[in-house]
Amino acid sequence: MPAQSLLLLSHALFCLGVFGMLVRPHAIGMLLSIELMLNAAALNFVLWNRLFGHVQAQAFALFIIALAACEAVVGLAIIIRLSRMAKTVFADQVTLLKG
Amino acid sequence: MMRPFIIWIPTLPLLAFLALIFWGRRIGRLSGWLSAAALAASGAVVWGLAPAVARGRHLAVRWPWLSVGDPRGVVGFLVDGLSWLMLVVVTTVGTAITVYSIGYMRDDPRFSRFFAYLSLFCASMLGLVMADHFVLLYACWELVGLCSYLLISFWFEKPAAAAAGRKAFLTTRLGDAGLLIGLLLLAWTAGDLQMGHLAAIREQFLLDGRAALLTGISLLLLCGAAGKSAQIPLHVWLPDAMEGPTPVSALIHAATMVAAGVYLVARTLPLFTPQSLQVVLAIGLLTHLLAGTVALTMTDIKRILAYSTLSQLGLMMTALGLGAMSAAMFHLFTHAFFKALLFLGAGSVIHATHQQELAHLGGLRRQMPWTALVFLIAALSMSGLVSLSGFWSKDLILLAAGQAHAGLLVLLLVGAAMTSAYVFRLYFRCFLGAAPQPVHPSHHAHESPAVMVVPMAGLAMGAAFVGLVGSPWLGQPLFRLLGESPGHEGIDLSVVGSSTVALAVGIWLAWTVAFQRRRLLPVSLRPLGRRLYTLAARKYYVDEGYDRWLIQPFLRMTEAWARFDLRVIDGAVNRAGQAGWALSWLQERCDRLVDRLVNGLARAIRGMGAALRWIQTGVVHQYLLVAVVSVIVLSVLVHR
Repeated sequence: MPAQSLLLLSHALFCLGVFGMLVRPHAIGMLLSIELMLNAAALNFVLWNRLFGHVQAQAFALFIIALAACEAVVGLAIIIRLSRMAKTVFADQVTLLKG
Repeated sequence: MMRPFIIWIPTLPLLAFLALIFWGRRIGRLSGWLSAAALAASGAVVWGLAPAVARGRHLAVRWPWLSVGDPRGVVGFLVDGLSWLMLVVVTTVGTAITVYSIGYMRDDPRFSRFFAYLSLFCASMLGLVMADHFVLLYACWELVGLCSYLLISFWFEKPAAAAAGRKAFLTTRLGDAGLLIGLLLLAWTAGDLQMGHLAAIREQFLLDGRAALLTGISLLLLCGAAGKSAQIPLHVWLPDAMEGPTPVSALIHAATMVAAGVYLVARTLPLFTPQSLQVVLAIGLLTHLLAGTVALTMTDIKRILAYSTLSQLGLMMTALGLGAMSAAMFHLFTHAFFKALLFLGAGSVIHATHQQELAHLGGLRRQMPWTALVFLIAALSMSGLVSLSGFWSKDLILLAAGQAHAGLLVLLLVGAAMTSAYVFRLYFRCFLGAAPQPVHPSHHAHESPAVMVVPMAGLAMGAAFVGLVGSPWLGQPLFRLLGESPGHEGIDLSVVGSSTVALAVGIWLAWTVAFQRRRLLPVSLRPLGRRLYTLAARKYYVDEGYDRWLIQPFLRMTEAWARFDLRVIDGAVNRAGQAGWALSWLQERCDRLVDRLVNGLARAIRGMGAALRWIQTGVVHQYLLVAVVSVIVLSVLVHR
């Protein structure tokens, strides 16, 4: 596959992720979108390796996977907590930060 | 060998004073005897010095008091003939009066304090008389004045006594101011305040042609003497001083303190120029005659005797004015005895009858024979009956006056007639005649106790015979004592005769006024006579004059100053306080302004916060949207 289109793919995935995060009301949906953004970034890193030969990029992708895992744990913990407190997981129904 | 002893003379009564002031209440009845014993011991020392003084030796004790540059500040005590004479007077008469007071003040609650004051007085009087240096003299002078004040107002519960004490102190203070200025002037011009050097100072000043300065100094010293010896115009305190207990009147205001002025003039006679001597003569003569006329009109026993004292002191001053120092001192000597005796006799009467007014007294010779007898002796001595003490001293003064001017002699004879008139008026009204209705039936007069009669008898002996030391019969040893040669030899019969005539006239006058009640003046002269009588009876309105022309203006002035103080000075202080108030009010207003500013600022910020709060909706998506948009914008801008 040509590198340009692969880069385009990772950028498109990223944008999809951003869009999804902004639009979806469900908290887990937002989390999924964030995962998508992270993976898009990882794909971008790997492609960098394919294009320019930076070996460190592949290692960085592994970092991103580990990071994603941790971040998913923390995010889920927050969502569970929120669901207990606000009795809902829809972000647009929660205005605890209003001030 | 003898010399250190003289320091005991004033010290013994001083120690008695200290003992009585601190432990008097515990000593109680013994206080009087302690005081008398101290004074008698001083008297013993004085008499012990007699042989040395008679031989003409001067005994002195000196110690350095102040050495500033010139070592002339040496004060000390000197006993020469003049001071020895005064010492004899103070100790002898003083002891007699102290013993008398033990009886007189028996029932007084402040018994021991009286004797404490009496001892202090004696100590200071003795110090005054022996002082060698003017500073010591002045210190003792003031002390004597203090004791006079304390003793006059001894019964201070009586407002009259308190006022009298104040009046005495203030009047003599005025004289003392003159004395002080005179002393300062002397110190400044002559540089020397030792009394022994006065003759030398006089010579020096006359040589330098500064006779006017001498006159000035001597006149200022005369001020002090006039105040203390109650000469006109400073005589007003002595009659009022009769408010004090009678022994006080006898000792202080008859025999000793008032004699201090005469002593001062006698001591400082070298400083007196002929001009100042004329002033002394004039004042003395005026006092002698005027006081005599007032004494004729008084109705209170003690007032009569007070004016009599004034009159006799005037006579002594007259003698000094004539330069006859020995005659004056001799008269002081005899006067102390008979005047003290007169006062003690009066005190005896007052003690027995509790009356002082002549209207309530009479016929006391029957109940008080001893008092009447001693009173008669004293009266005869004062009037100048031949061979009694008063005669010898008065004779000398009359002789000196006759030698100076015949008119002066005539005036003094008139004074002598008045003297015998008033004193015999007192004697006749008080002791002879019919007894009046008793004011209180329970009070019947009785003779005084022995403790009072014995001293009176002693003084009577003195009043009768003590004059012999100055008489030609004994060769006038007094004059040699005083360092002067005897004035004349033998007796001048014309003077003796005329003084006896004056005495007789006076007694006849008194007899007539007291018993016969015959009108003496022809009808045409009676209104004038009555007016003169009233003038004398009102004491020539001197007190009223002083009140109107000196005291009231002074009080008005002090009131004006008080008003000034209240309005101007206090007003200024109040205004300052009000200014402080106004300043603090202003400050409060400024503070409030500042508060408003600060609060306003806080409110503004809160308002801004409230206004901007709508941004925080709490919706997460909104925040994310803002973040994403800003990243995009920023990256575009950075790329540009």
